[in-house]
Amino acid sequence: MAPPALPQKSPSPSQPSGKGEVADLKIQLRQHAGSRAPGADDAKRELFKKVISYMTIGVDVSSLFSEMVMCSATSDIVLKKMCYLYVGNYAKGNPDLALLTINFLQKDCRDEDPMIRGLALRSLCSLRLANLVEYLVGPLGSGLKDNNSYVRTVAAIGVLKLYHISAATCVDADFPSTLKALLLKDSDAQVVANCLSALQEIWSLEAATSEEASREREALLSKPVIYYLLNRIKEFNEWAQCLVLDLVVKYIPSDSNEIFDIMNLLEDRLQHANGAVVLATIKVFLHLTLSMTDVHQQVYERIKAPLLTLVSSGSQEQSYAVLSHLHLLVMRAPMLFSSDYKHFYCQYNEPSYVKKLKLEMLTAVANESNTYEIVTELCEYAANVDVPIARESIRAVGKIALQQYDVNAIVDRLLQFLEMEKDYVTAETLVLVKDLLRKYPQWSHDCIAVVGNISSKNVQEPKAKAALIWMLGEYSQDMLDAPYILESLIENWDDEHSAEVRLHLLTAILKCFFKRPPETQKALGAALAAGLADSHQDVHDRALFYYRLLQYNVSVAESVVNPPKQAVSVFADTQSSEIKDRIFDEFNSLSVIYQKPSYMFTDKEHRGPFEFSEDLGSLSVGVESADTVSPAQRVEASDNDLLLSTSEKEESRGPSNNGSAYSAPVYDGSSISMAASQTQSVPTFQNQALPAYTPQAILAIDDLLGLGPSVAPAPAAAPPPSPPPLKLNPKAVIDPSTFQRKWGQLSVSLSKEISMGSKGAAALTTPQVLLRHMQGHSIQCIASGGQAPNFKFFFYAQKAEEPAAFYLVECVVNTFSSKAQIKFKAEDQSTNHAFSALFQSALSTLGMS
Amino acid sequence: MISQFFVLSLRGDNIVFRDYRGDVPKGSAEIFFRKVKFWKEDEEEEAPPVFNLDGVNYFHVKVAGLLFVATTRVNMSPSLVLELLQRIARVIKDYLGVLNEDSLRKNFVLVYELLDEVIDFGYVQTTSTEVLKSYIFNEPIVVDAARLPPLGPASMFMQGTKRMPGTAVTKSVVANEPGGRKREEIFVDIIEKISVTFSSSGYILTSEIDGTIQMKSYLTGNPEIRLALNEDLSIGRDGRSIYDYSSSSGGGMVILDDCNFHESVHLDSFDIDRTLTLVPPDGEFPVMNYRMTQEFKPPFRINALIEEAGPFRAEVILKIRADFSSNITANTILVQLPVPTYTNRVSFELEPGAVGNTTDFREANKRIEWGLKKIVGGSEHTLRAKLTFSQEPHANIMKEAGPVSMTFTIPMYNASRLQVRYLQIAKKSKTYNPYRWVRYVTQANSYVARI
Repeated sequence: MAPPALPQKSPSPSQPSGKGEVADLKIQLRQHAGSRAPGADDAKRELFKKVISYMTIGVDVSSLFSEMVMCSATSDIVLKKMCYLYVGNYAKGNPDLALLTINFLQKDCRDEDPMIRGLALRSLCSLRLANLVEYLVGPLGSGLKDNNSYVRTVAAIGVLKLYHISAATCVDADFPSTLKALLLKDSDAQVVANCLSALQEIWSLEAATSEEASREREALLSKPVIYYLLNRIKEFNEWAQCLVLDLVVKYIPSDSNEIFDIMNLLEDRLQHANGAVVLATIKVFLHLTLSMTDVHQQVYERIKAPLLTLVSSGSQEQSYAVLSHLHLLVMRAPMLFSSDYKHFYCQYNEPSYVKKLKLEMLTAVANESNTYEIVTELCEYAANVDVPIARESIRAVGKIALQQYDVNAIVDRLLQFLEMEKDYVTAETLVLVKDLLRKYPQWSHDCIAVVGNISSKNVQEPKAKAALIWMLGEYSQDMLDAPYILESLIENWDDEHSAEVRLHLLTAILKCFFKRPPETQKALGAALAAGLADSHQDVHDRALFYYRLLQYNVSVAESVVNPPKQAVSVFADTQSSEIKDRIFDEFNSLSVIYQKPSYMFTDKEHRGPFEFSEDLGSLSVGVESADTVSPAQRVEASDNDLLLSTSEKEESRGPSNNGSAYSAPVYDGSSISMAASQTQSVPTFQNQALPAYTPQAILAIDDLLGLGPSVAPAPAAAPPPSPPPLKLNPKAVIDPSTFQRKWGQLSVSLSKEISMGSKGAAALTTPQVLLRHMQGHSIQCIASGGQAPNFKFFFYAQKAEEPAAFYLVECVVNTFSSKAQIKFKAEDQSTNHAFSALFQSALSTLGMS
Repeated sequence: MISQFFVLSLRGDNIVFRDYRGDVPKGSAEIFFRKVKFWKEDEEEEAPPVFNLDGVNYFHVKVAGLLFVATTRVNMSPSLVLELLQRIARVIKDYLGVLNEDSLRKNFVLVYELLDEVIDFGYVQTTSTEVLKSYIFNEPIVVDAARLPPLGPASMFMQGTKRMPGTAVTKSVVANEPGGRKREEIFVDIIEKISVTFSSSGYILTSEIDGTIQMKSYLTGNPEIRLALNEDLSIGRDGRSIYDYSSSSGGGMVILDDCNFHESVHLDSFDIDRTLTLVPPDGEFPVMNYRMTQEFKPPFRINALIEEAGPFRAEVILKIRADFSSNITANTILVQLPVPTYTNRVSFELEPGAVGNTTDFREANKRIEWGLKKIVGGSEHTLRAKLTFSQEPHANIMKEAGPVSMTFTIPMYNASRLQVRYLQIAKKSKTYNPYRWVRYVTQANSYVARI
C-alpha cells in the first residue's frame, strides 16, 4: 500500500526530500497530540496533509507512526480518514506499532455513525497483517450483519481481504457461506455485487484444493442465481452490471427459448453510454448464439451501430479499446462489414496504433465491389507524411492485390508508387511486387519494365534490395542489363552489410548464369569467391554448396537452383485459426488488444476467475496411454506448455508484433534462403522440447521436410481399404511435440457440445477413468488434467489403414452439467465424421459397464 | 481487478498514488513512465493506451495534461479500465471544479478520499459524483480560475483531448459560491465534432458528426428534467446504405445513425415525442451520444492550389470560405499544410487588411500553419505562400504536399440541426426558476481537404 520509493528527480520547493522536515513534523505532531484546544483539529489537519504529501512523493515518513496514532484520537472525520490512509500504508512495515491502532479501529467499528463504522472496518481489513487476523473476525461478522448497506459493502470486500491474509481464518469463520446468503437476499445491489466479486475470487482459489469449493463456484452459474442477477440488472451500477454480464457469459442455457429470453432482457444494454457495459453485453450475445448461425449473424448486424458509435464517442483511448474489438469481429467476418468500409478510413490526427488497426480492417473488408475505392484511399495514405503509416498503407494495397481478382488496376497503382521516387515507398513497393510476381507470374512483363528502371543505388533497405535482386535473378532473361547490375552489386560485396542480401545475390547470379552464361560467368566466379570468403556462416555454406553443385553437374545445379516454379496460391496466414478462436473466446479482455490469447501474456493465476478452459498448464501427459516409454523429461517438456511453443512461433513470424513486451522467439530472416522459403509455413521444429529422445526427434524432422509419413510404424500387412465403420489402430503412437505441431497446423473441423449422461459424469472422478475407458476404444490420451468437475483431455487416434491419418481431439468435460465440449481436428477430412461418431459413442458408454 | 491507480504529471512526477492489491511491484509508476516516454523513439509513435510489461498490464488515459494510470495482472476488460480512468478524472473534476496539476496537488487528500470510495481492493464501487457526495468530507481548495489560461471554447483544445471537451464550467459540485448560497443552474451543451474529407476536386468523400449532449446540473433536490429534441428526429438508417447522400438533404429531417444514453435517462416517451426524461445526478455527464453520417453542409470550403513557379520555387494559394450565417463567428481557426520535404524557405502574403492572422513555417515538420482568430460567416480568406526548394522538385509536386487540415470551433452552431426544443424542470415552487443554459458548439475533429 505504500507509495513507491522514487528517487527524487528534481528537488523543488514542493518536493522536499530531507530528513529535517520529517523530524520537524515529528516535534509538531507531539505538540498537538494531546491538545484539545479550539483549532487544534485544523492544525492537525495541516500536519497530516504534509505527512501524506511526503508519503505520496516517496519520502519515508514511517518514523512518525506512533505520533500519528497518538494524534488520531479525534472525532474529526477528515483527520480520521487521513490517519487511516497513513496507517494502511505503513502498517505492513511496522506490525508491532500497528497493534496500537487496533484499539481505536475496533472502537470505531462500533461507532454510531455508519460512515465511521464502514471506514474503520475497511482500514482494519486493509492492514494486511497476519498477526492481527484474530481482531478482524468479530468486526467483520457484525459488519456483514450491519443494518447499513455501506458497512455491508465494505464488509463483503473485507472478507476477501481477510481471505488473502489468512484463508483458513476466513473459511473457518464460515464467511463464504454468509456471503452466499447475502448474495441472494441483500436488498442493496452493491452489496450483492461485492459478494459476487469476493465469492468468485475465493472459490476460484479454493477450487484448487477443495471439491466443495469448485462445486460452489459452479453453482454460481446455476439457473436460479443467473436469473436472480439478470432480473435485477438495472439496479446494479454500470460497473456491477459488467460483473454480472461476465458471469452470464459462462452460463449455458438449456434451450433456445432461454437464449432469446436473455437476449431480449439485455437488448437495451447495447444502448448504454458506457463502452464496458456494451462490450460485456455483446460478448454474451456472441457466445449465446455461437451454435445458431443465422442468429449469430443477426447479432453481428445488431451490434455494428453501437460499436461504431462507441468508437466515435468518448476519448481516444476508449475508442481504441472498442475499435480493437471491432477489428476482431471484422477479421472474423469481413463479409458482414464490407459495406461499412468508409468507417475504417483513417483520420489524419489519429494515433498510429489506431491507423494500423484501421488499415488491417480495410484490407480485410476489400471485395469486388469496394476494392477500387479502398485502394484509392490507401494510395492517398501512401503519400502521407507519417512514414510508418505510409509504409503500412502500401503493404495493405499489396495484401489486397494478393487476395483480389482485379489485380490489374492495383498493379498499375503499385507501379505508380515506384515513380514517386520516395525511398521508403520504393522499398515497400519492391517487396510487394516480388510477392505479386510469385503469385501472378503473368504480370512479369509490366512489372519488369518498371522495375528495370530503378537504380539499385536508390534502394538501401535490405528487404527491398533482396526483393530487387530476386527479381533480377528470376527475370534476368527479360531485363537487359540484369547481369551487369548484379555484377556491380557483387563488386561491392564487402560493403553489403545484410547477409540476407548477400544470400539473395548468390542465388540470383546463379539463376542469371543459367540464362545468360557468357555475360554472367565472370561475375559468378567473383560472387562464389566472395561468398566462400564470407564470414557469415550461411553465406559461406551456400556459396560452397553452389560451387560443389556446379562442379558436380551443371544441369543438376540448374534443376536445383532454377527449377520451373509454380505460382504461390496462398501465402501462409500469420495466425492459426486455433489462436484466433481462443482470442474470440476471450472477447472483451486484453487478449483482443494484444491479439494473443491470455496464456501468452499472463501467468496462470491471473487469467481471471472462471477461465477453466485455460488450465493447460495443469495438464499431465497421459502416461498410461502410450505403450512406449515416456521418459520423465518428456512429461515435463510437454507439460509446461502444450501447444504454446507452436503458436508462439507462428505469432512471431507475423507482422502484428504490436510492440508489447512479450518476447517471442525472434524469427531470423537472414537464415532463410529463397529456396527454403516455400517451406516457411511449417513451424520451425525446435528439438529442445524433446531432450534425449532422439528416435522420435528424427522422425519428426523427417516429417517436417515432407520425406514421407513415418511417424509411427505402419501396422504390418495393412488390410485392404474397407468401407466404414472406421477402424482405428489400437496401438497408435504419437509423440507430444508432433501432436502439438499437428494441433497447431490443423483447423478445427468439428466442434460440438454433447451431453454425457449422468452415469458417465458420476463415474468420472479422476482423469484416469476416462483415459482408460477411451483406450479401450483405441483412442489414446496424450494429455489430461483438471479436477472435478472440470477436466480437460487431449486425445488422438489413428486410422488403421493409413498410418499418417491422425485424429486429434480436445475434450473439456464438466461433470456438474454432464456436458462435454469437443473439438475435432483431422488429417483425413473424409472420415472425420465417422470418427467423431465413434468418439461420441465411446464417450457415451462411460460408466455403463 | 485493479492493482494500482496513479496520476503522473507529463514530467513523470507522482501526484497521486494508490495501491489496492499489493501484487504489482512498487516501482511501477517509474517503469510505466519510462516505457511511455521512450516508446519506439525512432518512429515517433506514441505508446498505445494499453500495454503489457513483465506480466503487468498498464492502462493510461491523458486528461488535462496529466496521465491517469491503472495497473493489473489480470486479463481484464480494457474498455472497463479505460472507461473507469476517464470517469475518475471526471469525478475529480466535478469536485475540484478545475482539473489540472495545480488543483490536484492542492487537493490530493480529497483525491485520496475519493479514490478510497471509488475502488476497494481493486473492485470498482461507484463513480457517481452524486453517490460519492455522502462519503466525502474534505472541502476542495478551489484554484483560481482566473489564473488559468483563458477559458472558453479555446481551452477545449488545450485540454489535450479532442474528443471530450470540458465545458466552460469550473465550479465544484460541493464548493459554495461566494456569498454562501449556491446558484441554482443547469448547463446543457450540445457539442458536435465533425469530420469531413474533401477530394482534390472538392467533393465530399466522407463526413460524419459525432455529437454529445452534455449536462452539468447544480440544482438542489434533484428535480426531474424533460429534454425535448427535434420532433422529426429519426434514428437508424434502415436498410439503406449509410453513405447514401442522394436523399433526405432538403427534407429538414434529422436522421441519426445511432445513439446511446446515460443510465439515468428514461426513454418512456422518447419514441412518441422525442423527449428524454431524467433526474440528473450531480456532476458532468453525457446525456446522449450520437453519430450521424447524413449529408450536411460543411461549415468551411477549402481550396488549395500549388503551382510551380520556376525551378526551385512554387506558389501555394489557400482559400477558406465560411459557409454559414453571418451572425455566427468561428474562432481559433488553424489551417495546416504539409509542404515538400525539400522546402527550405517560405514567405507569406496575406490579403490587405487581414487582422488576427498568423503565419508560420514549421521547419522541423515541413508544414505551413495559418492561424485566424475569427472568421465571420459568409466571408472568404486567402493566403499566398512562396516556397523555395533546396532541390529540383519531382515530377508531381502535388503528390509531395498536403493534405490541408483544419481545426476550428464554432459556438452557437451545430451542423446536424439537432435541437433542444425545450428544457423543462419540475417545479418545486412558483418562485423556483433556475438558470438554464443551452449551448451549442461545433468543432473540427478531422477536417481535411486533399490536393
